[in-house]
Amino acid sequence: MQATPQKPVSSLGKFVVWFGELTTPSRLYRRGLWFLLPAVVWILALLVIPGLALVALSFAERGQYGNVLWHWNLENYSRLLGYGIFGWSPDTIFILLRSIWVAFVTTLICVVLAYPLAFFIATRPARTRYLWLALVIIPFWTNLVIRTYAWQMLLSPEFPFAKVAHALGIIPADGALYPSAFAVYIGMITAFLPFVVMPLFSSVERLDWSLVEAAQDLYSNRVRTFFQGIWPQTLPGLTVGIILTFIPAMGMFVIPDLLGGAKYLLVGNLIQQQFYSSRDYPYGAAVSLGLMILTLFGLAIYRRRGQGVELV
Amino acid sequence: MKRLLVALLALSSLAFAQKEMRLFIWSEYMDPAIIKAFEQKYNLKVRIDLYESNEDMVAKLQAGGVSQYDVVVPSDYIIPSMVQLGLLQPLDQSKIPNLKNLDTKFKSPPYDPGNKYSAAYQWGSVGLMYRKDKVKTPDSWSVIFDPKGTGNYVLMDSVREMMGAVLKYQGQSVNAKDPKAVQAAGKLLLDAKKSPRALGFEGGVGAKNHLVAGQASYAVVYNGDAIKATGENKNVAFVVPKEGATLFLDNMAIPAKAPNVEAAHQFINFILDPKIGAQLSNYNRYATPNAAAKPYINKDDLKNPAIYPSAAIMNKLEFILDMGSDSRLYDEVWTAVKSR
Amino acid sequence: MHRLNPFVSAVALATLVFLYLPMLAIAILSFNRTRYGLQWNGFTTDWYTRLFQNTEILEAARNTLVLAVVSTVVATVLGTLLAIALERYPWGQRSRGWLDNLLYLPVVTPDIILAVALVVAFGALRAVSSTFEPGLLTMILGHVTFQIAFVALTVRSRLQSLGRDLDEAARDLYADYGYFVRRVLLPLLTPGIVAGAMLAFTLSLDDFVISFFTAGPTSQTLPLLIYASVRRGVTPEIHALSTLIFLATVLLVLASERLTRR
Repeated sequence: MQATPQKPVSSLGKFVVWFGELTTPSRLYRRGLWFLLPAVVWILALLVIPGLALVALSFAERGQYGNVLWHWNLENYSRLLGYGIFGWSPDTIFILLRSIWVAFVTTLICVVLAYPLAFFIATRPARTRYLWLALVIIPFWTNLVIRTYAWQMLLSPEFPFAKVAHALGIIPADGALYPSAFAVYIGMITAFLPFVVMPLFSSVERLDWSLVEAAQDLYSNRVRTFFQGIWPQTLPGLTVGIILTFIPAMGMFVIPDLLGGAKYLLVGNLIQQQFYSSRDYPYGAAVSLGLMILTLFGLAIYRRRGQGVELV
Repeated sequence: MKRLLVALLALSSLAFAQKEMRLFIWSEYMDPAIIKAFEQKYNLKVRIDLYESNEDMVAKLQAGGVSQYDVVVPSDYIIPSMVQLGLLQPLDQSKIPNLKNLDTKFKSPPYDPGNKYSAAYQWGSVGLMYRKDKVKTPDSWSVIFDPKGTGNYVLMDSVREMMGAVLKYQGQSVNAKDPKAVQAAGKLLLDAKKSPRALGFEGGVGAKNHLVAGQASYAVVYNGDAIKATGENKNVAFVVPKEGATLFLDNMAIPAKAPNVEAAHQFINFILDPKIGAQLSNYNRYATPNAAAKPYINKDDLKNPAIYPSAAIMNKLEFILDMGSDSRLYDEVWTAVKSR
Repeated sequence: MHRLNPFVSAVALATLVFLYLPMLAIAILSFNRTRYGLQWNGFTTDWYTRLFQNTEILEAARNTLVLAVVSTVVATVLGTLLAIALERYPWGQRSRGWLDNLLYLPVVTPDIILAVALVVAFGALRAVSSTFEPGLLTMILGHVTFQIAFVALTVRSRLQSLGRDLDEAARDLYADYGYFVRRVLLPLLTPGIVAGAMLAFTLSLDDFVISFFTAGPTSQTLPLLIYASVRRGVTPEIHALSTLIFLATVLLVLASERLTRR
């Protein structure tokens, strides 16, 4: 796999060879624009431009009745950094760190489970491959809240899982496996697994097995075969899968609430709280903006490091 | 000419027959039989959309719903804000003669003097749900907030109600504005959350599930949720602790740009009818604010202190008032409680 | 076909079983006599009969399906075009950076911010035309907005896995770009497109926040109904519906496999 070069190779006067095609740069750009514009215009119109209004909102103030007072100040941002009515408090930092941790563990577990699944599907005969893909994703077409309730039931004292855990001495008699961190992660996997499996599968399906066999010839160790022969080839899909899981997982709060006893606010809760019970839209906008900037920043770093990786 | 007029009249009455009344209401708060009766009486079709919190409803109205719904059911504390935000229109009281049926306590409430914008719907309170077979009947919030207490418990995942309970336990008002008092309440709540006896924060159903399954002995819930639970497990009971708790009164109101204002008024008047009001309360097991409906309420419900508390307890129940700019106080304390 | 280490296969199948466990629980719950609880109280098919009389739930189910299908189709088309544009055209370094950020924006944005932005956008559009009243159309528009990014990212990763060689070889053979796209590029991209579309479909089916802010009175969807009953308990009719949908999709998938075999 090669990274897409930045400029068309040009040694033919005004003509250019691009991906095997002989054409002029302007024709290329024009065609590219046709492909690009529909989606870009859509996102600009429905997200970016109205989003600017939200940026402005984060500098405003909450009025007496939950309305917005356009008095420009940085109050919301200082509150974001922890400076509240009672002086400085680390609550927002706790919330952020906890959300990152939950998202990180969730992503890790999902990645570990996604590889076997992706490989399993990719190694089915071509005829049944999409069947298996569909079978993997069908459970996710049941509403997440319903599935979470189902897990509440499965982890309750009457069901075998709790009884087994009790026999192993992990929980007291009559105890349940929820609310607990364990239950939360089960719920999160139930929500996010396909977000890693789908992109990973689309890369694994394209795997060059000859490279794997070459690696097997070179390394007697299975682990090294994996990391030298397989891992690099799946990197694009894996990267997308991680991004599509980690970021939404940071904003997730329904599952930690339902399966974790709602003991801790996560970033998603904090934002939700501002737009619902507190009706403090300016602060809510500030928290969201802070989160988004942080995430985009992290993404930029992640991608910059990734660009240096020499893909096989 | 005459035939044309008759045809036009027929067509127009047909058009009237298709008219809709759009109701935006809390889930499981309305008896389907009442809706059917209303539809038949006024020859209207009723569309119902549901919400789970006042803030959901306000957000929806602000997002365009203000011109899509005819009747909404906001709680007491949010009505002043809705009025200020221009989301409600005044009631035409000449179209609601049944307004006189309301109990004096619920007529012309402090947040809406003269029933200008709202008419009472149902009311209830927050309290303690408990397992009578596992623990003695509690009479104070100390079973939860006293570190020396025993028995697992579930807290309520709602800022004002939960903080209200703690504030009452500490002898404060649920609408306390003194930062020190609110902070002290927050500290106590944080300790309660961190105790090994705490199962966490839950909404109505979650708390009920824990209690019915026997994992917890106490839960902080609305009385209506507790009453529903007694249907599932005879050992569940409800009590309002002696220190008091928060009271809520839900109301019917009409959004500012409602499409069918006529039908909205008809509906409000219909609900305030004594027999209908009783049918409603008998269905959702909350208390009716309709004095004329009392004779038709289930006798057992009337005698049930969980639904109709004694006068002494009523004195200790307080309405939640919108704190306006002071709500930040409660926000920050709640955030602190939930992030440590 | 390459043989897979039996241990890996076992883990994969175990994960699959784990994913299907909740469905089993829901199926059990749908036959439970109790309205609210998790305790078993006797077998009954009442909830299924009640489901078919419950026009509200059935209408919500229909809306949810229409919404998901339409938005997925639109988003898949737009997302695939976007991915091809990003990966196969020589944009400069800086524009590429901006486009990347634009692509990630719907993923990075919290649901509620997306929803509020949409409300603002539709509020402004309503001044121009009344087709933007909250309703099914606004919901579709809203869903597509975040789905595009997920599809584009998935298809793009697939494009990155494909080398230049195939493109170049194909272009040597076929002079017409349109022919190339239809006969070579899209078939090669199909696993990525399908994977992206499935993701988009899943996202739409479960979406609550964005649907909440863009729905009108006549466009209630299942997630809205279900979230509304979170506090009071999900009615077993919903469990019955979930079980039926689940069985229907499994049967559909198996049937289509049978048919394509011939």
